[in-house]
Amino acid sequence: MQSQMKESDPILEVKNLFASTNNLPILKGVSLAVYPGEIHAIMGRNGCGKSTLSKIIAGHPSYNITDGDIKFSGENINALEPEERSQAGIFLGFQYPIEIPGVSNLEFLRVSTNARRKFLNKEELDTFDFEELVKEKLELVKMDQAFLSRSVNQGFSGGEKKRNEILQMALLEPKIAILDETDSGLDIDALRIVASGIKKISNAQTGIILITHYQRLLDEIEPNYVHVMADGQIIKTGGSDLALELEKKGYEWTDNFVKET
Amino acid sequence: MVNENLVKDVVKEPYKYGFVTDIETEKIAKGLNEDIVRLISQKKEEPKYLLDFRLKAFKKWQKMDEPDWAGLGYKQIDYQDIIYYSAPKQKEKISSLDEVDPKLLETFDKLGIPLTEQKKLTNVAVDAVFDSVSIATTFREELAEHGVIFCSISEAVKNHSNLIERYLGTVVPASDNYFAALNSAVFSDGSFVYIPKGVTCPMDLSSYFRINSGDSGQFERTLIIAEESSSVSYLEGCTAPMFDTNTLHAAVVELIALDDASIKYSTVQNWYAGDEDGVGGIFNFVTKRGKCLGKRSKISWSQVETGSAITWKYPSCLLLGEESVGEFYSVALTNNLQKADTGTKMIHIGPKTKSTIVSKGISAGNSINSYRGLVKMGTKAKGSRNYSQCDSMLIGDQASANTFPYIKSQQPNSEIEHEASTCRISEDQLFYLQSRGIEFEEAISMMVSGFCRDVFNQLPMEFAAEADKLLALKLEGSVG
Amino acid sequence: MEIIEKIKTNKLVENQTEIQKICLDKLQSSPLPNPKSELWRLSDKSKFSTFLDYSVNEKDLKFDTPYPKNSQNTIRLIIGENCQIKLIEDNYSIQQLSEHELDKYIKDQISCFDQNENWSDLLNLSLSCKKNILGLKINGSKIPPIEIFSHASCNSLNAKTLVILLEKNCDIQLLQVNLGKDNSSLSQSTFFFLEENSTLTHGVVSYGKNGSNLLNSLNVIQQKNSKYNLGSLHFKFNYARFEINIKQSEGNAKTNIKGMQITKKDEQISTYTKINFNGPNGFLDQINKSLADDKSHAIFEGSIIVPKIAQKTDASQLSRNLLLSDLAQIDTKPQLEIIADDVKCKHGATISQLNEEELFYMRTRGITLAEASKLQLSSYFQEIISFIPVSKDRWDLLDKILNEN
Repeated sequence: MQSQMKESDPILEVKNLFASTNNLPILKGVSLAVYPGEIHAIMGRNGCGKSTLSKIIAGHPSYNITDGDIKFSGENINALEPEERSQAGIFLGFQYPIEIPGVSNLEFLRVSTNARRKFLNKEELDTFDFEELVKEKLELVKMDQAFLSRSVNQGFSGGEKKRNEILQMALLEPKIAILDETDSGLDIDALRIVASGIKKISNAQTGIILITHYQRLLDEIEPNYVHVMADGQIIKTGGSDLALELEKKGYEWTDNFVKET
Repeated sequence: MVNENLVKDVVKEPYKYGFVTDIETEKIAKGLNEDIVRLISQKKEEPKYLLDFRLKAFKKWQKMDEPDWAGLGYKQIDYQDIIYYSAPKQKEKISSLDEVDPKLLETFDKLGIPLTEQKKLTNVAVDAVFDSVSIATTFREELAEHGVIFCSISEAVKNHSNLIERYLGTVVPASDNYFAALNSAVFSDGSFVYIPKGVTCPMDLSSYFRINSGDSGQFERTLIIAEESSSVSYLEGCTAPMFDTNTLHAAVVELIALDDASIKYSTVQNWYAGDEDGVGGIFNFVTKRGKCLGKRSKISWSQVETGSAITWKYPSCLLLGEESVGEFYSVALTNNLQKADTGTKMIHIGPKTKSTIVSKGISAGNSINSYRGLVKMGTKAKGSRNYSQCDSMLIGDQASANTFPYIKSQQPNSEIEHEASTCRISEDQLFYLQSRGIEFEEAISMMVSGFCRDVFNQLPMEFAAEADKLLALKLEGSVG
Repeated sequence: MEIIEKIKTNKLVENQTEIQKICLDKLQSSPLPNPKSELWRLSDKSKFSTFLDYSVNEKDLKFDTPYPKNSQNTIRLIIGENCQIKLIEDNYSIQQLSEHELDKYIKDQISCFDQNENWSDLLNLSLSCKKNILGLKINGSKIPPIEIFSHASCNSLNAKTLVILLEKNCDIQLLQVNLGKDNSSLSQSTFFFLEENSTLTHGVVSYGKNGSNLLNSLNVIQQKNSKYNLGSLHFKFNYARFEINIKQSEGNAKTNIKGMQITKKDEQISTYTKINFNGPNGFLDQINKSLADDKSHAIFEGSIIVPKIAQKTDASQLSRNLLLSDLAQIDTKPQLEIIADDVKCKHGATISQLNEEELFYMRTRGITLAEASKLQLSSYFQEIISFIPVSKDRWDLLDKILNEN
């Protein structure tokens, strides 16, 4: 676990978190702290609880926190609604972005961006100003303007959906971004676009959590910390070399850690 | 269409269960009145509460009108022209199977249900019902070791009266509908199953219903009770001889599942369907209903309906217990002038209840095949779900397929999804199979059984094979 | 139920026309629809009787259209007010049906009426006086869009009838607006006859005010190669029934229907559709959406009838329902009756609430639950509203009305 002293306070702090859905325990005591400027990677097998952790931080209503705290900028956010968390600066990039037929992407992005701007006491943007802003951000993810007039994620390819997520992240300028398997299902070009998008957004004030199965995204973005999750717990934490070792030895290797703990 | 002549040349397999057993029977006079009801009760030496139950039902029945909403259009039934009690004559008390009239044993042998110790099916316990009475039940001792009670309902009235008094008529009240009321007044026999707490019934239980006499109706009654954490798989088979008159079969089946109990009820119904011109055949007007009383209880109906001139049945589930589950898997095949109106009712009352409906209707000849169902989410059925799928296959341009789903919701936090489609066997598919060397008839039956796969998969092994064969048989000569 | 008494004594209206006499005769033996029939079983009895509680009143029919014409081009007709029209242009003509033609057409229709299925039409034609029956004959193409208004007046029952014959190859857009007033009942019956090769793009927007009631019956006969598109929206009625009866008389025609009903408070709105294919190669694509909130009740019942003659019919019917409140209820019953074997028919029905995953997704982007729900609802409406012709650019107004609580 992280023991060294940090100069500032963590952006996000998860303390001994237990959570369940339909009375089924999923998280069994997760602790994690992300300081400004840090990039964390969480790895682990399917079903180990990585995605659940990200959803709980974002406030998904299907999960119950049974014990522990989630603190954002020092405040406990256990009871906040998902939109309040987003407005405050928590961003979740979905593994499977939801298709919303009939709701225009542009309108969705504008309402969402304005909700965040309002929170930051920034002026809300009208359609024209917003279009200017979006155009600029579209560059970042190499997306065509035509995406804006379509329904949210509807009929988007896997890569387009993920780039749409990064676009939203760019617009919302979160303090912490949790990207749940943003790399899965991407070809190498799309992966580079996504990676460079993430890099442009990350800075000394923001924190990023990358949830992933594979090394290849971490080749593009080097994390400060790598956590390995199994059965609802973080079983090992290390530097970026841990990911490399994991890639080499496979998850069987981590099974031993479980036994140890 | 393809190979029309070939199809017509195929020899039509006659209804092979159409024989009559020549046996001396004890019948009471035709007709129905209060005295007949009393007589039936008296013959069965019933306690007073049961006689009262019958008389009450009879009074209600007299006040009810025969339903006509299904538009089945059958000839008026003369209820005074039916014999309500008919039993093969045999010795007063039978202590073992060896004392059963050999003619009866032979009959069941011929039907493929051997009952004697030497020949009986190894993994299924059978209760054989002949006209109004239960003839024999196999494997009783083995079952008794596990505390499982499997016997005729008449016997249960004598030996397990407390259970009968407590549960009979609690799922299907006597006044539920016209035919249930009639059954409640005059039911003669049927099967009773009781699975005690925590017991998984060691073998499948099966009732085999045989109508032999042409002028008596059959009104059997089945009651299955599964106590906490128990489970049972029950199979039901039916055949009848060929008569040119219509015979009425109005059964009532009640299932009760307590906490964590599961009941699987499978039917292969092959009553005589009448001839090609629609003469004769059974009127199969049946009320089947299960009550998921307990938490996480489960009742699963699967049925293959191929017989009867008219079938009118809706095996249903009342989902009361939290997280209880109801299922209905059905194949209904109609040919010639048969009419089948079947489906289910899934009544979601408790929270987080779940139901699945898969119905496959195949109509050939001049038959009418309808799915009629109800899915209801009550105000307290929070978090409940239903999924229904009803497919029809039409063979020939004279058959008709109808779908009447009725969906009602009073609970926003619940989901109902219904899908239905109609298809036929395409010439392209046929040609493809034939070009691979598969015979025409074989190709048809392959496609039909493929169409029914989702349902057959739900049937117990021995039934699935039988159902497949049955469909192939019934379809012969229907494609042209 | 003053009206029923009057039907029984045959004193419903003075100076009865022949049509009124025929219909009253038909109603007299059993003046009310059979409440046990599937078509009327779910109808709220007390609401239905309030429909019949108002007396027929032709006075005080002041009418203000809710929105201005969008362009000079649009032809606007108000049934009962300015029914005089005769437009003969180079490429089209719109004329009134002669009294004889109108009489004959209506009588033909009545001859095959069923007491239960056409009860609403029988009542309508018993009540509709001459000036409230508009009959048009239209031919040609590039016809300016037509708007036809029917409206009730406060504290009374009004009956309006519309008959339109579309001649061969004719192609028009028509918006029908039915307006309820405070405590009023409106009986609207509409008869369309589409000749070969004609196309009708039809919109029906019906909305009421406090205590408005509506019986809206729509009868369409389609000859071969005709195309009928219907987009409809019903909301804000204490009690409303929309009955659609479409017959493809020779098959080989196309029918597209997108309908929507919204119920709030303790309203009850129902849609009954019956589509009959009377020949081969017919096409139907139908979707009906309901939204029920508060203590309201929305009902959909659809039947598709495909007789033996209707080979190669391709029909699909979908019933989508949103149930937004614990006290509201939804009933839906899509039905297929098929005899022909070479057909493609399917139907589906769903009842649910707003999609939770979609809502969560929007909320993680900072959009409030209320806003996210609104976005979802407006996308739910959008598919239907965009199908309603003529007044597309004025749907802002409708949006506003829809969002009122």
